[in-house]
Amino acid sequence: MPEGTLCNRQPITTDEQLKLTLSDKGGRQYYAEMEQLEVDTDKLWTAIQNTMKSRLKTWLNVCAKCGLCADSCFLYECNGRDPRQVPSAKIHATLGEIVKRKGKVDNAFMRKCMDIAWSWCTCCNRCGQFCPHGIDMGVMFSYLRGLLFSQGFVPWELKIGSGMHRVYKAQMDVTTEDWVDTCEWMADENSEEWPGLEIPVDKEDADIMYTLNAREAKHYPEDIAEAAILFHVAGENWTVPSEGWEQTSLTLFAGDWEGCKQNVLHVYDAIERLRPKRVVGTECGHAHRATVIEGPYWAGREDGQPPRPFLHYVEWLAEMLRTGRIKIDPAKRIKELVTLQDSCNYVRNQGLKNITREIMSYLVEPGYFVEMAPNKEYNYCCGGGGGFNGIGKYRPQRNIALLKKRQQIMDTGAKLVVAPCHNCWDAIRDLEEEYPMGIRWSFLKPLVIKMMIVPDHLKPQDEEGEE
Amino acid sequence: MKKKILLATTGSPASFGAARVAFEMARRYDAELLLFHVAGVPKKGFSYQEVSDVRSQEAVSVDEDYMAWVEEELKTTYAKQLEDCNNFRILLATGLPHREILRVARGEDVDMIIMGAHSGDSSAVYSKGYPGSTLQRVAKAAKCPVMTVHRESASYMGGFSHIVFATDFSKQSESAFKYALSMAKEFDCEMTLFHALDITSKVLAQSDIEDKLISLRKRLRDVYGPKMGDFKNFEVDVWEGNPYVEIVKIARERMADLIVLAHNTRELDPEQASMGSTLEQVILRANCPVVSVNRPDKV
Ligand code: SF4
Ligand code: SF4
Ligand code: SF4
Repeated sequence: MPEGTLCNRQPITTDEQLKLTLSDKGGRQYYAEMEQLEVDTDKLWTAIQNTMKSRLKTWLNVCAKCGLCADSCFLYECNGRDPRQVPSAKIHATLGEIVKRKGKVDNAFMRKCMDIAWSWCTCCNRCGQFCPHGIDMGVMFSYLRGLLFSQGFVPWELKIGSGMHRVYKAQMDVTTEDWVDTCEWMADENSEEWPGLEIPVDKEDADIMYTLNAREAKHYPEDIAEAAILFHVAGENWTVPSEGWEQTSLTLFAGDWEGCKQNVLHVYDAIERLRPKRVVGTECGHAHRATVIEGPYWAGREDGQPPRPFLHYVEWLAEMLRTGRIKIDPAKRIKELVTLQDSCNYVRNQGLKNITREIMSYLVEPGYFVEMAPNKEYNYCCGGGGGFNGIGKYRPQRNIALLKKRQQIMDTGAKLVVAPCHNCWDAIRDLEEEYPMGIRWSFLKPLVIKMMIVPDHLKPQDEEGEE
Repeated sequence: MKKKILLATTGSPASFGAARVAFEMARRYDAELLLFHVAGVPKKGFSYQEVSDVRSQEAVSVDEDYMAWVEEELKTTYAKQLEDCNNFRILLATGLPHREILRVARGEDVDMIIMGAHSGDSSAVYSKGYPGSTLQRVAKAAKCPVMTVHRESASYMGGFSHIVFATDFSKQSESAFKYALSMAKEFDCEMTLFHALDITSKVLAQSDIEDKLISLRKRLRDVYGPKMGDFKNFEVDVWEGNPYVEIVKIARERMADLIVLAHNTRELDPEQASMGSTLEQVILRANCPVVSVNRPDKV
C-alpha cells in the first residue's frame, strides 16, 4: 500500500477527513497504515534540494562531532546520558543520513526519524547556545519535521492538529460563530462584577488587537475574560478580530510549513483589516514564536516583522505595571517562595527574560522570588514543548523528559510556579500528576487580577452587603 | 410557562440526592429535564482525543463508543426515575465541569441548575491551576438559580412548607429574595426572612449585640416588608453568630425544606476563603436543598 486512507502524504484539508482521522482510536489504524507507507524518495530528495538552505548544509558539514552540545540537552541528561541522545548524534542519525543517501531511505528509517524528531527533541534550541559553531539542533529538527510531514510520517495528534488549523483556522474546532459567541458570553458573565466590561469584536483602529490560543475559547474562556478585565482596568482601547484571532500553530510542531504560513496570514490579515496600533498576544509561548518570531519569514515579509508591533503578553503587562496603569496592592504581594518558568519560545527565542522578572518584582514581596538554575535563556524546556505534551505515542518519553523540570523546581523549594506559557503550564500540571510534589502553578492573568488595586469607578455600585 | 431544568450529574452516589430533587421538580413543574454529564477533562495539552474520566480519573480516549457507553451508564443509573419522566434529554460534554455546565445552561437557556455539592473535585490535579470548586464557580456565574443538594437525606420529599431566605442585604440578595418570594407564593408556604449578624471577627458587648439585633430586625422589615405584597405568611429574624452556622440552625429550627441565599463572594480560591463561602458551608451542612441566586435574570 503506497498511501493509507488516514496516514498519507496529504495534509488534512476537509472536515470529513478530519473527523475520520479523529475517530481512529488512539491512532491505531493510522500508525498501522504508517508501517506500509511508501517513501516517495524522489520527492524527498527534490524537497531537500529546494528547501535545504546553505546554513543547514553548512551546519551538517561543519559539525565536528565534538560533543560539546551533549550536556546542553535535557533529553540527553534525563535519558541516562545515552550517547544516542547527544544533539549532534541525533541529527546525524536522521537528517544527516537522509541527505547522505540523497533521500533514498525506507519506511522503517522514516519511522525511526519520526520517533527521534518528535520524542528526542522538543526544538527548544538550548543546544545552539553551547555549540562552538553555533549549530542549533532545534532548527535542524524543525526542518527535519517538515520533511517527515511532507512524507506523511508525523504523529497522529499533530496530523490532526495541523488539519484543525487548515479546516477551522484554529487548533480546535472553534468556528467564527463559536468564537464571537464566547466573547459575548464572557463579557456578559463578568459584567456585574466589572461594570462596563466589553469584549469588542472587529473594532477598527483600536490601540490594541488581542489574539490568543483556541484552547481558551474552547475550554477555558475565563482566560479571555481575564484578559478583558485587565484591558478594562488598564483603560485600553482594544479589540479582538472575528477572524484571525487564533495565534497558535500546531502546524509549527507538525512541520506543516504550508499550514504555518496560512495560520500566520490569518492573523496578519486581521491586523491589516482592523489597523490596530499594536497587537498583544496571549501568554502562550509557541504562539508568539509562530506569529512574531518565525511568522514574518513564513509570510515572506521582508522586514522580518509582523505588520504592526506585536507584543507578547508579558511585554504588555510589564508596561502596564511599570506605568502604573495597573497597580498591585502591596498587601497582596506573594509572600511564599515562588519560581518562574522561562519559556524557550519567548525567552530563549526572543530575549524576554528581564521583562518577566520585572513583572515578578511587582508581584512578589522581596526575598520570596527564587530563580531556577539554570535560568533565563539557559533554562531547560519544560519537558512538554514542541508538541511533546500532546502526543500519546510518546507519553512515556515525555514523562521522562519532565524529570529535569521537576528537579529544577524542587531545588528552588518553591511551591508556586508562575508559568505564563500555556504549554509549560500544562507540562507542569502533568508533572504534578505524574510525580506529585505538592506544587501549584499559575498563569499571570489570574494572579494579577487577584492582586491589583481596582479603581473605585470600575467597581460595581452597591456591591457591599451588610457592614 | 415552559420550564427547563438542568441536572448536572456525575452519575455517582454523591449526586443521587440532587437527581431525586431534579426529577421531582421536573414532574411538579412539568419541566423538561436535561441530564447533563461532563465525561472528562481534556488531557494531553487539552487535545481532546484523550480525557481523564471525571469519576475514575483514568485516561480514556473519547470517541463515539465511549460517549455511547457513558450515556448508557447514565440511563442505567437513573433507570427508575426515567421511567416516569417523559420529557428529558441526555447531554454529554468534555471539558472542565464548571465551564461546561455554564456553557450548556446558557446555550439551552435553562431556568434552574440542580447539582450535588461534591466537594472533592477541586483537589484533582487538572483543576488545581483553576481555583474554586465546580459548585463555587457555577454558583458565582450562573444566570439562573442553582439548587444544590448535598446529601440524600436533604433531598426534597415533596412539597415545600417552609422557606428560609437568608440575606446579607447585598445586591445579589435582591434577586435571591425575589426568587424565594415567588417560590413561597407558588407553594403557598411559610417564609422566614433571616439575617445573621456576624460576630466572629469582632468582639462586641452583649448590649451592643442586642442593639444591633433590634436595628437589623427593623432593617429586614423595612427592606423586605414593602416588597411582600399580599403575601402575609412570613416572619423576620436576626441571630448573631457565625453566619453559616446560624442559617443552618434556623433552617433546622423552622423545619425548613428550602434555603435560599445569594452566593456573595468574589473569592474563589479555597485557600484564601479557607472556610469556604457562606453558601458552600450552608450547602455542606444543611438538611434540605439550598438554592443560590445571584442574578435577576431567571427569577
Ligand atoms: S557542539 Fe556543535 S560541533 Fe560539537 S557536536 Fe555539537 S553540534 Fe557538533
Ligand atoms: S533543541 Fe533542545 S531538545 Fe533538541 S537537541 Fe537541542 S537541547 Fe536537545
Ligand atoms: S512549552 Fe515552554 S518550556 Fe517547553 S518548549 Fe515550549 S516554551 Fe519551552
